Amino acid sequence: MKSAAVNYKNPFRKLCIATVLMIFLSSCYSVRVVNRDAVPEPDPLNTSGDFYKGKKVHVLDTVIRLKPQEGAFSLIEKCQSQGFYSFEYRVTFGGVLLNTVTFGRKRQVKIKYVCSKQAD
Amino acid sequence: MYVQNKLTNMATTITHEIGTWDTFHNNGPFPTKILYETSLEEKGNMPSVTDRYNDAAAEIQRLLKAALDNHEGFRAYGSAWSLSHIAHQKDNMHFNAAMNLKKSISADELHPGTTYLQENLFLFQCGNVIKEISNFLFENGKSLKATGASNGQTIAGCVSTGVHGSALDVGAMQDSVVGINLIIGNGADDIVYLERHTKPVLNDVFANRIKARVIRNDGLFNAALVSLGSFGFIHGLVIETEDRFLLNRYVKKLDKDTALHLAQTMAFEDSDFSVPGETDADGKPNRPFHYKVFINPYVNDTEYAIEVMYKKPYHSGYPDPVPLIKTSVYRDLILLFVSIAERFKNSIPTLIKFLQSAALPPIDFQVTGTLGEIFWDAGYQGNAFACSIGVDIKDSAKALELLANLAKTEGPIPGIYAMRFVKQSKATLAFTRFPVTCMIEIDGLNWNPKTDKLISLPNFCTRIIEVFQANNISFTEHWGKNADWSFPGLVKCMYGDNAQLWQQYRCALLRKETADLFSNDFLQNIGLSEYLTDVPDGFAKSIL
Repeated sequence: MKSAAVNYKNPFRKLCIATVLMIFLSSCYSVRVVNRDAVPEPDPLNTSGDFYKGKKVHVLDTVIRLKPQEGAFSLIEKCQSQGFYSFEYRVTFGGVLLNTVTFGRKRQVKIKYVCSKQAD
Repeated sequence: MYVQNKLTNMATTITHEIGTWDTFHNNGPFPTKILYETSLEEKGNMPSVTDRYNDAAAEIQRLLKAALDNHEGFRAYGSAWSLSHIAHQKDNMHFNAAMNLKKSISADELHPGTTYLQENLFLFQCGNVIKEISNFLFENGKSLKATGASNGQTIAGCVSTGVHGSALDVGAMQDSVVGINLIIGNGADDIVYLERHTKPVLNDVFANRIKARVIRNDGLFNAALVSLGSFGFIHGLVIETEDRFLLNRYVKKLDKDTALHLAQTMAFEDSDFSVPGETDADGKPNRPFHYKVFINPYVNDTEYAIEVMYKKPYHSGYPDPVPLIKTSVYRDLILLFVSIAERFKNSIPTLIKFLQSAALPPIDFQVTGTLGEIFWDAGYQGNAFACSIGVDIKDSAKALELLANLAKTEGPIPGIYAMRFVKQSKATLAFTRFPVTCMIEIDGLNWNPKTDKLISLPNFCTRIIEVFQANNISFTEHWGKNADWSFPGLVKCMYGDNAQLWQQYRCALLRKETADLFSNDFLQNIGLSEYLTDVPDGFAKSIL
C-alpha cells in the first residue's frame, strides 16, 4: 500500500513542481533599453560573454520601502555628463507578489545599467 | 588585485595583476602578468585638450620606463577585437580605450606645402572607438571615408591591423591616416610624429604642441601605418575625413556568374546588373561604394545574396536605419549548435543554414543611412573564429572555389563565406596590397573537434595556406584574424621584399631595447621580431 501511495504521489508532486516552476520562470523577464548613439563605458575585466561583455556594469538590487503617503520614487544614480548607455530592469514573480501583498509599499528593484563613455 | 597610481593633475593608471588575458571573441586565454588601464586627467582639472594629451603621453612614458627597467615587453590594445594573438603581450598589456581625446586641426598647424583641407583634418587619440569618432565627426558635418563592418574597434587597433570595409574605391582604415604620433620610448626624443614627405600635412607648431620630433619620410610612414603594434605606442592619428554622406544599401539575389564576374572585374558600369534608381542619365548602372557577396559553401546555389551600397550627398529627414528593436539568437542555443557540430559533422550544413538566416539581412532589403548608421553596433559577443584571405580580384572566383572545396572535402566547418573588395593600400604590410583586393572571409563559431572526423581550426588554417601555395595564387591573410601564423615563410610568401623592408624601417626607428619592448609572440611567430643592424642610412631620417 505504501509503495502504491508513493507511486501515486510522485507524478503529482512532479506535476506540481513543474507547474510552479513554469509560473515562476514565465513571470520572470527583463527589458533592456539601449541609447542608439552612445558608446558604453568600457571594462576590460568584464568577460561575461553576454551583452555586457567588456562594459562597465552597475547593478541595483534592492527593495524600496515607501511610506503610506508616498506613491512614486526616483533612484538617483550618477553617470558622467554623457548619461546612460543602457539600462535593463527585471521583473520577477517574487517582486510582483511583494508589491501586491504590501499594497505597493515594498517594491523590488533589479536594474543593471551601463554609463556612456566619457567624451573628450 | 589592482594598484592605482594617482599623483596630482595626472592621467591615472590602474594596475591589474590578471594572470590571463583573452580576446573579445575568446580566442585565448593567453598568460599575462599585468594589465594597465590608463584614464585621462579630468577635464575640470586640465581643460586644454593638448595639455591632457601631453599629460597622457608622460604617463605612457612612465609605464614604458618601468617595462624597460624590468627588461619586459609592453603592448597596447583597445577593444581586443582581433582574433589572432596580435594584441597579446605576456608581460605588460595596456588597455587604452579611455584615452579618447579628439581635436580638430587649427589653421596655424597646417604645413605650407599641404594639399589637405584644414576642415577635413582631425587628431584622434588611440582609444577612440569608431562609433565615437563617427558621432564626433557627424556633429562637425564630417565622416570617416570607410570603416569596418562594425564600430567597436579603437582607431589605433583598426589602423595597425588593417581593418577594412568593402569600399572598393576608397581603401582600408589606414588609408585615411595622414599623420602618426608614436611614443617609442621613455626619453625626451622618443615622442615622434610621422608624415609622408611627399604629402606633408602639419607643421612644427603642431609638433611642438604635442612635444614631438617630426619625421617626414614616405617609407617610414608607410611601414609604420600597418605596424602590427610594433613600431611603438600609437598615441594619436591624424585622419583625413570628408563631408558626411549617405549610403543607399540594397540586398539582392544575383545569379552566381554575374556576381563572380563583378567580383573579378569591378566593371559595374558595363554590367547587366543594376538597381532601379541607381543609374546615370543614360541608364547605365552607377558604380557602387560597396559590394559584398555572401556564399554558403555547402549549397550549390545558382544565385548569391549580394549587398551593394551607393554613395549620396547627405540630407536629413530619412527614416532611421537603426532598427527600433534588435533581437539576437539565444547564446545557449548557439553553444548547443556548436556542441552538436563538434560531435556530428553532418549537422554542419544545416547549422550553416540556420546561421545564414540569422546573420544575413533579408533579400530585397533597402535602407539609407550614414556610414556610422549602416555599420552600426555588432550584435554577437561570444566565441567566434574568422579567417580572411586577400587575393587580387582577378583570382577571386578561383580562390573562392578553392576555399569552398576545402570546406566541403576536408571540413565541414561551422562558418559562412563572404567576399569584400578594397582599394590598394600604400602601407608596406597592408594585406589589401593588390590593385583591388578581394577579401574572402570565413566567419563562424569556434569549435573544438571531438572526433578525428572533423578538421580542427588550426589544421584548416594551415590547409588554406597550402592550397593557395599549391595553386600558385598570391594571397595575404588579415592580421587580426585566425591563420597559421607560424607557417614557415608565410610573411615572405605574402609580402616578398616588403617584409624585410618593414623590418628595416622598424629597426631604424627603434633601439634594440625598444624593439624588444614592442615585440610579442605574434611578431616572433611571423619572423619579424629580429633586430636588424645593417639598416641603410636615412631610413628614420626626415626627408622634408
